[in-house]
Amino acid sequence: MTVLDRLATSQDLISPGISACVGCNVELTLRTVLKVLGPNTVLAIPPGCMGGVGVVGWDKESGAKVPVFFPLLDNTASMLAGIKLGFKARGREVNVVAFAGDGATVDAGFQALSGAAERGDRIIYICYDNEGYMNTGYQRSSSTSKGSWTSTTPVSAEGRGGKSQHRKDFPLIMAMHDLPYVATASPAYIPDLVHKLERAMEVKEGLAYIHVYNPCLTGWGIKPEESIAVSRLSVQSRFFPLWEARGRKLRLTVRVDKPVPLKEYIGRIHKFRHLDEERIDELQKLAYERYRFVEEMERMGSESDGQAS
Amino acid sequence: MAKEYVAPVGEGIHAVRTGDWRTQRPVLDSSACRRCGLCLMYCPVNAVSRAEDGSFSIGLDYCKGCGICAAECTAHAITMVREARA
Amino acid sequence: MSRVEVINGNMAAALAARLSRPEVIAAYPITPQTPVVEYLTQFHADGALGCQMSEVESEHSAMSILTGASLTGVRCYTATSSQGLALMYEPYFRASTLRLPIVMNIVNREMISPQTVWGGPQDSLTLRDAGWIQLYVEDNQEILDTTIQAFKISEDPDVLLPINICYDGFYLSHMTERVEVPEQAEVDAFLPPYRSRHIILDPDQPMAVDPLTNGNLLMEYRRKHMAAQQSALAVIERVDSEYAAAFGRSWGGLVDQYRAEDAEYLIVSMGSVCGAIKEAVDTMRGRGVRIGLLKIRSLRPFPRKAVLAALEGKKGFGVIDRNVSFGTGTGILYQEVRAALYSAGARFPAASFIGGLGGEDLTLELVASALECTVETVKAGKTDEAARWLVRAKKGEGR
Repeated sequence: MTVLDRLATSQDLISPGISACVGCNVELTLRTVLKVLGPNTVLAIPPGCMGGVGVVGWDKESGAKVPVFFPLLDNTASMLAGIKLGFKARGREVNVVAFAGDGATVDAGFQALSGAAERGDRIIYICYDNEGYMNTGYQRSSSTSKGSWTSTTPVSAEGRGGKSQHRKDFPLIMAMHDLPYVATASPAYIPDLVHKLERAMEVKEGLAYIHVYNPCLTGWGIKPEESIAVSRLSVQSRFFPLWEARGRKLRLTVRVDKPVPLKEYIGRIHKFRHLDEERIDELQKLAYERYRFVEEMERMGSESDGQAS
Repeated sequence: MAKEYVAPVGEGIHAVRTGDWRTQRPVLDSSACRRCGLCLMYCPVNAVSRAEDGSFSIGLDYCKGCGICAAECTAHAITMVREARA
Repeated sequence: MSRVEVINGNMAAALAARLSRPEVIAAYPITPQTPVVEYLTQFHADGALGCQMSEVESEHSAMSILTGASLTGVRCYTATSSQGLALMYEPYFRASTLRLPIVMNIVNREMISPQTVWGGPQDSLTLRDAGWIQLYVEDNQEILDTTIQAFKISEDPDVLLPINICYDGFYLSHMTERVEVPEQAEVDAFLPPYRSRHIILDPDQPMAVDPLTNGNLLMEYRRKHMAAQQSALAVIERVDSEYAAAFGRSWGGLVDQYRAEDAEYLIVSMGSVCGAIKEAVDTMRGRGVRIGLLKIRSLRPFPRKAVLAALEGKKGFGVIDRNVSFGTGTGILYQEVRAALYSAGARFPAASFIGGLGGEDLTLELVASALECTVETVKAGKTDEAARWLVRAKKGEGR
């Protein structure tokens, strides 16, 4: 079955009408994820965009056709670990899945996630990384890239400011927990995302982690119709490498041998408009260094004993 | 009459009429359509469906008019048309 | 046929938990609760405890894991103390407002700062308004019996609230006493398995748990929660009677009384200090003073009617608080008792005492002085607005 067949024939398990922004690629990611996971799923949506737009529902109504709930901002992975243990206690197999923003994952929820990863709790944790606390007005997170305007790292009238630190490389941090499956994904590469979800679902023991990079239209200042095009540029500029790993054996799933100049990506994003050539060059350098690091890990993994994945 | 609950739970589906939001709508020229399926794969609200005979159509109940389908369509078979006043 | 063991309070709690057949346990070690976790993991390794156990990385995760597990409809247990309880406050508040019948022993320990690890119920008392049922016990037998009862109380369809069984750190947790331990079959007969009918995460019956809720509906849920706490008053009494019928031991339900019926003066308190109070009562009774003890077991729900009934006809009372209520000048129990009296239009002269904080012993001497002081205060018709502090005499100074 092709990816298209799968997506064309699988049930959309999210409410057809949620108040995500026009063109939101997180909404796209969520609907795709649920089509692949299917109805035997318990879904955790911590406070953030997807919760805010109604996926957990309002008052006495739900926003999804599967069991769905709000964890707290900082305990998604722990609650899911408990849910998995509860089903295990009664001898049942259920997909136990997080769909959490970067705020809930790399900041407040990091301890819970790291604990679940180390223990080997059998959950699927998907992070949608839009570089900040977007639902509450675009505050910075530790996943926000260097130089970004955010509401808590704003820019002066003369163009000084923006976030002073680059984003931590969270997917690699998760890979250092020696997990059965870790991957990065992009809403501009839907077939790649679907294959990665399938592999995450095949994991029998331990935590599977997928980190999706979702350029935020309203928060970063991107035109709705460019939602996918800009996401594609994030990958094609090497800013966000697409790879998967089993333990520390990593392989790139989308090779970028001829990267697009970063300023083509930066130029489509309003939150970077105060960056001069020097700062853009610095960001490009950081992106290339990280891409090279991933290539090195890939090389080491394939050297150690045969195949990388 | 809504059900009485002891603890905060919800049943049924809450759906916002997001079709009411849009200021432009996608118009698909079936004769130009190559049936590549990209519009279906990249529509954030799942408004595109494929019929038994393999043809594609775009439902307008929840379409927000984002224009992704038109932008991604390899055959340029989709045009965004401004919504007329009611 | 139960067997007699010689065990400390933590073992009593761990055995009670094991006998109650929890399905998921997630507990993080903290002094003085740590042995509970160690005993439970040993039981599990030995095959004597058939449950899912999680080696959590903090108390916040422990309560998070249990709220998750409880949402799938399984029976859950944990234990903690002071800093751990404070750390889990976020999911702790939620456990009650999601109406999850989780049982948690709190091995009462003083809150930091100053830096301390020693016993005292400040930790659980400070959280008394977070919606959990809270029962306080006096000795190791009571720990075991009440912890088993806790599952039955919390899972009762009229209650459906999580419950704390609280016992003093070190004084009980690390003290060895004779305890009768029931047989597994007896406890199975007493405790049917748990089935959730009010909230569940299950793909066979999909529902949203905790949708965003407007204020009007939130108020409805709060009212139902408040009503459930009131229903728990009768359930606590009933479960105590049922336990007595099955195992031969009653602890009095909401309150217990010692030589209080014909007393003129009452001392009101909770926890392990009640043992010393009973000794002091006997001594004063020996001198002809008609004094007795009202031991509060249930702090939440507060047993207003039982307290009023106990005080009826008395001349006055004194409260020994092993805690503080910052900003009020007295301890917490003193305020709770006085608030309960207000509804009956009853006024009594009363003495307020604070002592035994942070592991400082409440010696027989100090307790006796509190009893004497209570009698004097009541005779003088006074009511304390500020607590009297029970402190050791400094070397070289007279009392």
